[in-house]
Amino acid sequence: MGDVESYLAVGGVLFVLGALGFFTRRNLIVMILSAELMLHGVSLSLVTFGHMHHSLEGQSFTIFILTVAACEAGLALSLILALYQKSKSLDVEFWSELREPDLPPPMLVDDAGLSPITPKPPINYPRLTPAGVVPEDLDKYDPRVQHAASQTADTPKEPPSPKDLKRSVHEHFVK
Amino acid sequence: MPRASRLPKLVGLILAICGAGLLASRLNPANGQVVQTILFSTFSAIAILSAILMITNRNPVYSALWFAIATLGVCGLFLLQSAPFLAAATVIVYAGAIVVTFVFVIMLAQQSGATIYDQTSRQPMLATIFAFLLLAALLGTLESSTAEDFMFSDRSAAVAGANVLSQAANPDQLPTMMALGRSLFGDYLFAVELAGTLLLVATIGAIAIAPLRRRGTL
Repeated sequence: MGDVESYLAVGGVLFVLGALGFFTRRNLIVMILSAELMLHGVSLSLVTFGHMHHSLEGQSFTIFILTVAACEAGLALSLILALYQKSKSLDVEFWSELREPDLPPPMLVDDAGLSPITPKPPINYPRLTPAGVVPEDLDKYDPRVQHAASQTADTPKEPPSPKDLKRSVHEHFVK
Repeated sequence: MPRASRLPKLVGLILAICGAGLLASRLNPANGQVVQTILFSTFSAIAILSAILMITNRNPVYSALWFAIATLGVCGLFLLQSAPFLAAATVIVYAGAIVVTFVFVIMLAQQSGATIYDQTSRQPMLATIFAFLLLAALLGTLESSTAEDFMFSDRSAAVAGANVLSQAANPDQLPTMMALGRSLFGDYLFAVELAGTLLLVATIGAIAIAPLRRRGTL
């Protein structure tokens, strides 16, 4: 294949990858990102055609595509935010009930048996041992004093031993 | 695609390597422009690899970052096609603005930890088969085209002349930035104004849609 065909092939590959992402991913944000990837493929094809004909129409069209893509991204993200405020989830299948009443239910993914991956426990970094005593004449009901006391309440008197620290880091990163 | 089982990852990797090798062997332009060939291979490899990583990553933040890298690869290809203004504008708009907005929305709307819907995908096998059928059709059409199809000839000039909406291509017109500006603010002046209006309307729409109604922001 020649020069022009190579660029067109790359544009086609980008378009197909974007379409694949749009069809398969369930996260609304990743779906919109995939749509933008499809726009990249189309832009690359347009610029290639313009370059092939020594004309500037391809670049002009792509600039307009850029404008529309920016509008589309802004509107789509605000719509996603509105949907997220309703459903507290970015899953597109949450909205699969929104269909015509006579249509069959869509092919949904079976989530049974899958559990959400919980975040790892935080690493137990060494902390400074609290030094000194709390002065007696401090106002115990001052929120700042209570905040300071709550900050140091669960601090161990001794810093964790190097062995404990190593085990904590190991559990965090290996599991 | 994100999936529960472990085996298809290896199979997919082998298939991807085979496909990339096949594509690279077909794509090499044989006209001896070594630098252009190297740059083209680098940029297209960056774009395609980051696109694959974008649609397969389970973390949407990483997806957005891979999309930025894919944008940079596409901008490199724009530069090779003598479109420097377009490359700069794409970097600014996509990598600078759109990706940052995406990451902000992910921060606003992301739940702690990895969610179920990022771990699984809808009909991955079926979608992959049909997507690659589409890709095969596109590449097959490209493969069957001859070099004359892509040359500016008298025949294509006649076809373009017969179309009312098209302008005759000017082979002397150099793709400079000045010519692009003249084309935008001369031939496409109404379209530019329309695009500006569209941006304004989209801004108003985004402001109207996004915030919570009960907080009384609008």
